[in-house]
Amino acid sequence: MFFHIVLERNMQLHPRHFGRDLRDKLVSKLMKDVEGTCSGRHGFVVAITGIESVGKGLIRDGTGFVTFPVKYLCVVFRPFKGEILEAVVTMVNKMGFFAEAGPVQIFVSNHLIPDDMEFQSGDVPNYTTSDGSVKIQKDSEVRLKIIGTRVDATEIFCIGTIKDDFLGVISDPGSTS
Amino acid sequence: MPRRREEEYDDEMEPEEDEDVEEEYEDEEEEYDGGKAGKKRRRSDFIDDLAEEDDEEEEEDDDDEDYGGGGGKRKAKKRSGSHFFELEAQVDTDEEEEEEEGEDDFIVDTGAELPDEDDEGRRMHRRPLLHREEDQEDFEALERTIHERYGRREVEYDDEATEVEQQALLPSVRDPKLWMVKCAIGREREVAVCLMQKAIDKGPELQIRSVVALDHLKNYIYIEADKEAHVKEAIKGMRNIFASAKIMLVPIKEMTDVLSVESKAVDISRDTWVRMKTGTYKGDLAKVVDVDNVRQKVTLKLIPRIDLPALAAKLEGREVPKKKNKTFNPPPRFMNMDEARELHIRVERRRDPMTGDYFENIGGMMFKDGFLYKSFSMKSISTQNIQPTFDELEKFRQPSENGDGDVASLSTLFANRKKGHFMKGDRVIVVKGDLKNLKGWVEKVEEDTVHIKPNEKGLPATLAIGDRELCKYFEPGNHVKVVAGATEGATGMVVSVEGHVVNIVSDTTKELLRVFADNIVESSEVTTGVTRIGEYELHDLVQLDDMSFGVIIRVESEAFQVLKGVPEKPEVALVRLREIKFKLDRKNNGTQDRNGNRLSVKDVVKILEGPCKGKQGPVEHIYKGILFVYDRHHLEHAGFICAKAQSCVLVGGSRANVDRNGGSLHSKFTKFGAPPRAPLSPMRSPRGGPPVNSAGRFRGGRGHDNLVGAIIKIRMGPHKGCNGIVKEVKGNALRVELEAQMRIVTGKFNRDQITDNVNVSTPFREKSRFGMGSETPVHPSRTPLRPYMTPMRDPGATPVHDGMRTPMRDRAWNPYTPMSPPRDDWEDGNPASWGSSPQYQPGSPPSRTYEAPTPGYGDAGTPRDSNPAYANAPSPYLPSTPGGQPPMTPSSAYLPGTPGGQPMTPGSGGLDMMSPVVGGDNEGPWLLPDILVNVRRPGEDGDIGVVREVLPDGSCRVALGSSGSGETITVLTNEVEVVAPRKSDKIKIMGGTHRGATGKLIGIDGTDGIVKLDITFDVKILDLDILAKLPHVKE
Repeated sequence: MFFHIVLERNMQLHPRHFGRDLRDKLVSKLMKDVEGTCSGRHGFVVAITGIESVGKGLIRDGTGFVTFPVKYLCVVFRPFKGEILEAVVTMVNKMGFFAEAGPVQIFVSNHLIPDDMEFQSGDVPNYTTSDGSVKIQKDSEVRLKIIGTRVDATEIFCIGTIKDDFLGVISDPGSTS
Repeated sequence: MPRRREEEYDDEMEPEEDEDVEEEYEDEEEEYDGGKAGKKRRRSDFIDDLAEEDDEEEEEDDDDEDYGGGGGKRKAKKRSGSHFFELEAQVDTDEEEEEEEGEDDFIVDTGAELPDEDDEGRRMHRRPLLHREEDQEDFEALERTIHERYGRREVEYDDEATEVEQQALLPSVRDPKLWMVKCAIGREREVAVCLMQKAIDKGPELQIRSVVALDHLKNYIYIEADKEAHVKEAIKGMRNIFASAKIMLVPIKEMTDVLSVESKAVDISRDTWVRMKTGTYKGDLAKVVDVDNVRQKVTLKLIPRIDLPALAAKLEGREVPKKKNKTFNPPPRFMNMDEARELHIRVERRRDPMTGDYFENIGGMMFKDGFLYKSFSMKSISTQNIQPTFDELEKFRQPSENGDGDVASLSTLFANRKKGHFMKGDRVIVVKGDLKNLKGWVEKVEEDTVHIKPNEKGLPATLAIGDRELCKYFEPGNHVKVVAGATEGATGMVVSVEGHVVNIVSDTTKELLRVFADNIVESSEVTTGVTRIGEYELHDLVQLDDMSFGVIIRVESEAFQVLKGVPEKPEVALVRLREIKFKLDRKNNGTQDRNGNRLSVKDVVKILEGPCKGKQGPVEHIYKGILFVYDRHHLEHAGFICAKAQSCVLVGGSRANVDRNGGSLHSKFTKFGAPPRAPLSPMRSPRGGPPVNSAGRFRGGRGHDNLVGAIIKIRMGPHKGCNGIVKEVKGNALRVELEAQMRIVTGKFNRDQITDNVNVSTPFREKSRFGMGSETPVHPSRTPLRPYMTPMRDPGATPVHDGMRTPMRDRAWNPYTPMSPPRDDWEDGNPASWGSSPQYQPGSPPSRTYEAPTPGYGDAGTPRDSNPAYANAPSPYLPSTPGGQPPMTPSSAYLPGTPGGQPMTPGSGGLDMMSPVVGGDNEGPWLLPDILVNVRRPGEDGDIGVVREVLPDGSCRVALGSSGSGETITVLTNEVEVVAPRKSDKIKIMGGTHRGATGKLIGIDGTDGIVKLDITFDVKILDLDILAKLPHVKE
């Protein structure tokens, strides 16, 4: 789920950036530092949309770096248990398949794939129904439900299921219609 | 109570002993009962019961006698006890059988008839006893003593039965103690019997009270006695008791435990998992399919261990099914009837009359679905603490019709789980009984019951449920940790739950693990499980004892999985610790890729051939031309791929410098005439001496192995603890720009200790002096520089400024740069790195102007020998590499930078970090117009004057005279001296943020002056040195 929230961060800025465009520097550094990161509480920071306030800088002894507390508005993406997501399959193996929804990697175990879908190994490993009408392979788009998340410092890993109503393949690259 | 017992004992002993042994049966009986009654006054009614031999009381009576007979061993089987006692008397071996467990059956059988026998039976039993007693006085006396001895206890057990004052029954200090005596293993019973014999022989002389040999306790027997001396006396001369053996006192608290009998009622029920204790199937897991309690037999389902050919031979040869009896133990394998038929073994298909199932019968053995069904004595199986492994269970499940039944029966596993299995807060599900499938949370755990808080509404707040009816419950998505079993320590997320089996996806390997719900706990922790056994760790390259080598890709509880160094196909071996010879070091095992590029560890390669064609990743290990590549996206073998170096091609440095530095670099290298690939090789092996060991090269071709630009920490030497940026690598020497001090130092380092962002040990040998400004002789040289520095600023500095700013900024905000911010800043703020920007290319005018001052500087600088590193640095570079490089060397780069910066923003913090330091602190005040100075010319007296103009070359025009009315001369900076102001003088500020401002010195405090500014009327405290007196006239 996406959220638009205000976060705060203490930015360290090199003295050489002090000048007219200090603020710009600060913002660009903030973007570089923050965008794409992940925290367990807020999830992935997708984009910074604005700066709410820049606090007073504090010069660090010894290095001359200055610390600014910056409050910024940003869009974060955090997957939740029970959330329905659309994701692109990145890899298929006999244990299940991996899919990505933006920065989030989701694993769908073969236990969580409908029983009528069977793993077919080969050049393009895939899961196929017995009648061959539905096929999950690399680059398929699937709709899945997240049933578990694990948050590391740098990534969020999810376990998903497609063993539920209205879940499964939503577009298949193989069966170009 | 015990106290009373003690007294009574003493009391009773005498009268009883006094009594005539020749007494009639009735008397004897009475006395016997009387003894009881006497000892146990409260139980007087009991005597009546006995006398009447009421049916109702029969049971109690039995109890008494049971204990009387049971003596040292409290038998659980009360009813039978009475008979036991009598029979025992009959066979006149007294206690002997007491120790024998084997008698139980017998007792049970007779016990069944008990109610009928009643009075009659009793008399009939007693009579011969009496008879014998008449013949043998000794025995009667003995028997009496036994009664005395144990009769007491009888009474108490009555108590137990009637009054339930259990606490009071527990042994106290006054009771005889229990001593533990060591004896030969396996001779426990023998010893007990011997002691009994001794007691019989010696009579009361032997002062021990009882002897207990427990079946489950080897090597020890218990002797009940009041004193240790009694025990010693009793065991003296016993063959199987070690004379030296220490006699240990059993603490009172533990006495009851010694003799408390575990409820032997192990309910072997169908579907229980058991293990075989003996025979061919020893240790094998078996499942109970039928229990015959009467015959003490169980029918088990086993995976047969049958050697078919041998069986066939036997069957053919003798035509008589014979029990297998071999030393060789065939592996467990499912029976295949077709196979058997092929061997001409006759397979009969029979219907079991009891169950109605069909069995294949081979030589008397029953098979079904490949399993062997066999009946065993209950004694040959163990039912306690059975922990079937997953594999075993899987095997059992496999061929059977549908797994459901078996999985359900897994619940029987839980009968054996350890105590304290459930913890408060655990989520559980009820698996048995009426409340089946009820979910809840554990609230409280008691001995065998667990109080749970049910999940459903409309139920009591807590329910007490037997712990065997509960199972831990997990939902898909839970993050769990495995706490027992083969995969112990691993963590993962629950993918699915099948009854008591939980599938989890391991966090690290992303593999599917199947574990029992019992063996996992919910946890947020992320671990790999064990990563190390002995000195070998996960992902180590090891040499195996069959001369092969491989990478450890998984550490199991006692073995490693090793991906062997065979490039043709991935080969994984399960290797035990002892099979590993040693760890292969990561040292320089460089090799070459297909294109002849040198490869070393951490280089990113792409695999062009083989099963893993197309994969790409950093090289983790190199050995004998074999690469172990780690591809994050490769799920097998923990991401490791084994490939020949020849079938790989180098992709780029691990920092992807090609991308970052882009085309400018390439153009630069082409200028040098280096091959396009060259940047990679020299950067990787700078020590190997690339043709031109230039900083430019290093800069461009930064790779994993190259340290230039890396932030390091100095671990040794005078600069220990300082952070710095590596500016240059020369063989074993590093030049490091210290972060906190404005200088570059040189030091040795040990390459092996360096990794990416690491702390390098650098014992410094020599430091190049950088803070040249602080050196006095240099100071005057500045002044002449100034004039031509300032104009230079326009042609040179401005483009430089833009040029450096842009790339600098780019780099700083470039998402590619995997560098930590401080390092970026440093690099960019540092003129040394500007050299990489094209502006500094040879031939471009600005850089030339930059170079120009260098010699000038050196000339102007007086004796520069104090600064050898500095002065010399440019020289070797200039000739060796025409252009390009000089600005790269930090020393030379600083050189132009410093003076250049000063005129731009003297004394104030400019963009260049160097300038404020140099200009503000070290250079001293810069002259300003209108200030009063002392002019000192060689050969002339000091003359006061007023500065009229400061010339660009650093010199100034000074109007002589205290008010500037005299002639105007031009003097050099070193010839003038600012006149120090005094209190209430008008002053001009020559440095700091207020440079140029005028004010009044209103006070002096040490070296600081208190200044009131003219314009703002602010009061400032400033260094006196930057204050210059203004001529009075001017006022």
